[in-house]
Order: sequence, then structure tokens, then C-alpha cells
Amino acid sequence: MADKVSFIKQVTKALGRTNITRPKDNYDTAIFEDRNLARANAAQAVADANSMAASLIDQMVQSADDAGWKVHRTDNYEESAELIVGICKDHNAKSVLRSAHSVLTDIPIDRALAASGTVLEVTEHSSQSSNRHIEKSKAAAFNADVGITGVDYAIAETGTVVLHPRAGVSRLLSLAPPTHIAVLRPGDVLASLDELFAIQRDDFLNGKLQGSMNLISGPSKTADIEGTTVTGIHGPLEVHLIVIENNKY
Amino acid sequence: MKPLTINFRSKAAQTIGDEQVQNSLEHVYTGFYQGRINAASDTPNWEELRTKGKAIKDHTIAHLDHYLDMFSEKVEQSGGTVFFADNAEEARQYITELAKDRDIETVIKSKSMVSEEMSLAENMNDSGFETIETDLGEYIIQLAGETPYHLIAPAVHKSRKDVAELLDEDFTDGDRVPDATELTMLAREQLRDVFARADMSVTGVNFAVAESGSIVLVTNEGNGRMSTSVPRIHVAVMGMEKIVPSIQDLSTMLRILIRSATGQRISTYVTMVNGPKTPDEEEGPEEFHVVIMNNGRLKLLKDPLLRESLNCIRCGACLNACPVYRKVGGHAYGWVYPGPIGAIVTPVITGLKDATNLPAASSLCGACHEACPVKINIPRMLLELRHKTAEGLSDPDERTSKFVERAIWKTWRIGMMGRGRFDWGARLAYLFMRPFSINGWIKKAPPPISGWTVSRDFPLIAGKSLKYRLKHRHKKEI
Repeated sequence: MADKVSFIKQVTKALGRTNITRPKDNYDTAIFEDRNLARANAAQAVADANSMAASLIDQMVQSADDAGWKVHRTDNYEESAELIVGICKDHNAKSVLRSAHSVLTDIPIDRALAASGTVLEVTEHSSQSSNRHIEKSKAAAFNADVGITGVDYAIAETGTVVLHPRAGVSRLLSLAPPTHIAVLRPGDVLASLDELFAIQRDDFLNGKLQGSMNLISGPSKTADIEGTTVTGIHGPLEVHLIVIENNKY
Repeated sequence: MKPLTINFRSKAAQTIGDEQVQNSLEHVYTGFYQGRINAASDTPNWEELRTKGKAIKDHTIAHLDHYLDMFSEKVEQSGGTVFFADNAEEARQYITELAKDRDIETVIKSKSMVSEEMSLAENMNDSGFETIETDLGEYIIQLAGETPYHLIAPAVHKSRKDVAELLDEDFTDGDRVPDATELTMLAREQLRDVFARADMSVTGVNFAVAESGSIVLVTNEGNGRMSTSVPRIHVAVMGMEKIVPSIQDLSTMLRILIRSATGQRISTYVTMVNGPKTPDEEEGPEEFHVVIMNNGRLKLLKDPLLRESLNCIRCGACLNACPVYRKVGGHAYGWVYPGPIGAIVTPVITGLKDATNLPAASSLCGACHEACPVKINIPRMLLELRHKTAEGLSDPDERTSKFVERAIWKTWRIGMMGRGRFDWGARLAYLFMRPFSINGWIKKAPPPISGWTVSRDFPLIAGKSLKYRLKHRHKKEI
């Protein structure tokens, strides 16, 4: 068995050296950027997302549509709740699961779904995550007809919804149910992958990197049978993006 | 996986003669090849991205020891476990022992070429763990008992009818062949149950980030996400070359990888794992293991002329661009990595002696070099390997040319180096060849030259050279 030290020693030797040498600064890779620059990049990304929110939303809507999201634009909370109820009804949804994203408590979705007679569960963290509890939460995700989440970031370049799984935002919520609805608010749309990873890097340097991250760009798909693209293999068959712009309070 | 590189010729011939497989290979061209061309032309700074991608990989490989050290330290800091494996056997043993120790019943596998090097699924099943491939293409291949045909599209050579027969026990010859959607939904149903009960997952790694100890998975189907959500143990296996230094390098690398692989701007899912699940999460692996494998890669690293091959990010673009791959197919290459990049990596890792046909199976047209998102000069390295088979003196295993063959070419070289010797040699060749010729052509020659004439005619060398004839015509005219 190879231990770490001898394994890496072999690599050093193969590179024609005797010791690990720290590489000289090389700006081809961002690792040599200093912390201040990383912080400035991340701050710029966030500032741009706010100052250009309206145009980024337009771009996002276009590229999300290209990526296979069914996009719905609305300018108020009431209507967004109705849109969600409408999608659930279209799918005859009996069991709906939603995350604890704050946007989902801001819009009157719980009330609207209850009025329509749909069973809604919220994946909120219970501090006693016993095995039984975990199994129950898994089963709920696999049995749900619709999963509803917020959006932590969106990426206009690619039509991507970014979600950080955490307490209240389960990993399976946007994956296991056959329909996923994501609700996007203005100000959370980043221009491109560069901005997203600039923010991630800054979070990392500040010790705030989240446990994991999922980039979601449309419905699950495959082209493994005769090169024919089919939508819906292991993840959702259908994904909806509700875009709330200029909310009227 | 046991290398079968020695069968290149017979496997290639078999594929070329198989009309159905030839049709399937067209998908590689129309789908992936055209897709990449379109994606590249839609990306204004495409060449700049390739240059940057190459610079990132060149730098990382040149300091691989440093970054491996950093990566493994960071994984451990965030609560993961790292295992360094010198070879496939060690890696397999580690994973099997882990499964035994944790009382695992069901293992779900996401796509990973490195796990193919270990024949992991097959071995885990033999050891009594239900181990299921979950990428649709890999699932089909597993049911067929075969190996992947393409880095990105493992089952590209299977027809809908083949797939129907594999997925549905009741499917019989007279039945209507289901369409791709029906078959996909059937597989979805079958694999859902498996996902729900899996207690361990094995995935590959598209990128490993040194500074943060993160791994990144790129998938379209969602099986990569299932693998990092449902089971309580997640094992990620990677070749030691998969590192990038910084989180911020990911935007460049993801852009070039995905566009080159499928022509998409981004895959449906990109998953970044920074350690085991956090304490306040309900789902997610409690244990996160990373297996870093050498398995012959040191030989590539050691050789400055072949080191560049470790820049490969396994997008498959060189396969799709290669006129040889598109005819001889993936299985001819005889091991895990087919196509132009496979023709470099496979012979070095599994032994050049049996694999001399791999670097030879190229017209050196350069399409692979042009397609490569990190600009790997594949034709240069193919030539380097051909040189090794002819002259490789450092390792007798490498030099596979026979003494007689080398003697013939040495003589040829001497003959070509002086006009008198050339004239004399040409005259000799003419006299030797004439008895076999009909109307100035040799259609059938005795061995070993029959290897040439079996598919081509060889013109008889002229009895009088051009120089001789010119000289004599000149005399007559005066």
C-alpha cells in the first residue's frame, strides 16, 4: 500500500526534483491572486448583480429557456403563488415539498396550496437527525410530486440555478420529485460562471464555503440511446423557473 | 481491466464490417463533433479559453506533487479521507474493504473511467455487493457485460433494439421496438428503486480543486447528484492528474470541458462537493473518501515528451474528431481509453509491446490536436511512440521491431544516401520484383510483402531511371 508521503515522493522524482517546491507565482491560475483581489472580485460580482439586475434577469430568462426551463415572469407575489398552484394542479400533485428559502415564506404559497387541497410539507431541519428521521426525509423526497425551492444564485450566461444544500434546503428536493419549481428574485442573477466562482473563492478564503453546491441548468436529460436527447432520466422531467421582478409589496 | 490491445487489427476489421455499428458511430460525428464546432463558434473567446485551459493544466502537472499534497491535506481538513493507490488493485481493495467494514449492501456507481481501470463494478459484484452502474449508457453496457465504447457515450454502438432486449426481459423479436423515450423511462423506473436503497456510491471526479479539497462532477442525467445525496458513504475515484489549483480556475475548465464534450454551454448538473455533509443537513454522505490513483501515470509524467498527455480532461473531443476512431470504434483500442488520446495513454500504461498498432492507427491529420480543449499535441506524441517501438532502447519491452525489419530499414537508409547507391538499389529492386509483375503491376506478392498487396497494387519500379532516360534522349536529339 502506498502512503501519502511515498506516493508524492514518486511524483516529485518523476518531475525530476528531489523536494516539493512551491511553484513560482503564475497568474495563469487564480491561486496566486491575493486575498484582497479575490475579495474585490467577489464584491464586484455582487455589486454588478444588483446594479444590472434588470438586464441580467432578461438574459437569464433567455438562456434558461434555451436550457429547457419553463420560464414564468411575474411582477407580484400573489401571482407567483397562483402560478405555483397552477403547475401543481397541472400535474395532479398530491404531495408537494418545499424548502425553507425565505422567498417561499414571503410569497403566500402555503395558503394558496392549502386552499387548493394539496398536501404541502416543508423540509425544515430537525436537530435530532436520527437515522429514522433521515429515512423519513428521503422517502418524502422520493414520494413527492413537486419540489419547490428558492434560488441562491442564478447565472445569466448559462441559464443556471445555483443551490447550496443546507438545513432546510435538502439535497433531494430539487432532484427526486418529477417536477421542480425554482423561484428567482431579482438581484440574485450573476453574469457568468466567473462571478459565481469568484464569490465561492472569496467564501472559501473567509472560511465560509458551504458544504456543497449544485448548478442546475434545465431538466435531467440523456442522449445515451442512439444519440436521441430524452428529457427526464434520474432527475426531474420538468423544471419551472418563476421569475419575480420588481415586486410590488 | 485486462488490456486487449493486441487484438486491434481484428477488432477494427470486425467493426468496419458491421453496418449497424458504423451507423451508430455516425451519431458520434453528427451529435458530438458538430456540437463542439457549433459551441466553439458561439463562444467569442474560445481560443483564449483553450490557451488558458492549457496554461492551467501545464502549470498544475509541472507542480503535481505540490498540488496533490495541498489537495489531500484540504480534503482531510474538511473531514474527508484520502487514499493514495499505486495501482488499480490497491484502489479496488480499499473500496471493497470499506464496503465490507461498513456493512454495505447496495453500491451505486456514477460514470468514472478510472473505476473502469479497476473493473470495479464487476469485482464488487463478485465480492457480494450489489453494484449498479447508474449512468444510462453505463447501465446498458453493464447489462450487456461489455466495456464502454466512448468516453462520453458508453453505449453509442447499441441500437434501440439491443437496448430493449437488455432492459426488458419480455421483449421478443416480433415486438415493436420502443422509442428512445420509452426505453429511457423504463431505465428510470428500474434505477429509481436502486437509488432509494443505495448505502454507498462510487463516482469519478471531473476536477479536484487543490486549494479547497473540493471535487466537481459534471453530469446531465442526475445520477452524480443522486450519488452525492442518498448514500451514507461517497467514494470519489480519480487519476492523480485531475487537479486544478484554484476554485476560480473552474469557470474556464468547465466551459471548455462541457462545450468540447457535448457542445452544451453547460451540463444540466455541475456538483461541487467540499466534504461530507454538514452537521445541520439531513441528507448527504456522512463519509467522504477520495481515492487518488497512479496506475501507470507516473510513466507518462516521467517522460517529458509524453507528460502533456496528463493534461487530458477526458472530454472525448479527439475521439469524435478522429477519422480512424469513427471507423474502428472504441473496443478496438483494447482498454479503458479509446481514440487518439487512448492511443498514447493505453500503450504507456498497459505496455507498448502489445499495443504498437495503437499509435500506428492514425493518419496524423491533426484533427485531434485541433479539437483538444487544452491543445494537447496528440500527433507529436503518436510519432514519439512510433519512434519508441522502432528505436526505444531504454526499455527492451518498448522496442518491438524485429531485427530483420530494422536491418531492412537501415539498408534502405544507406541506399537512399548516395546517387550511385540509389541507382544500384533501384536496379536490384527492379530485377527482384519483375518476376512477380503483370503489365507493370504487382497484384500478389509473397509474404511479408503480401501484407501490402492484399489491399493495394504496387507498381513495378521502372527498369530505367528518369535520369538515365533523359540522358539518352538528349544524346539522340543532338
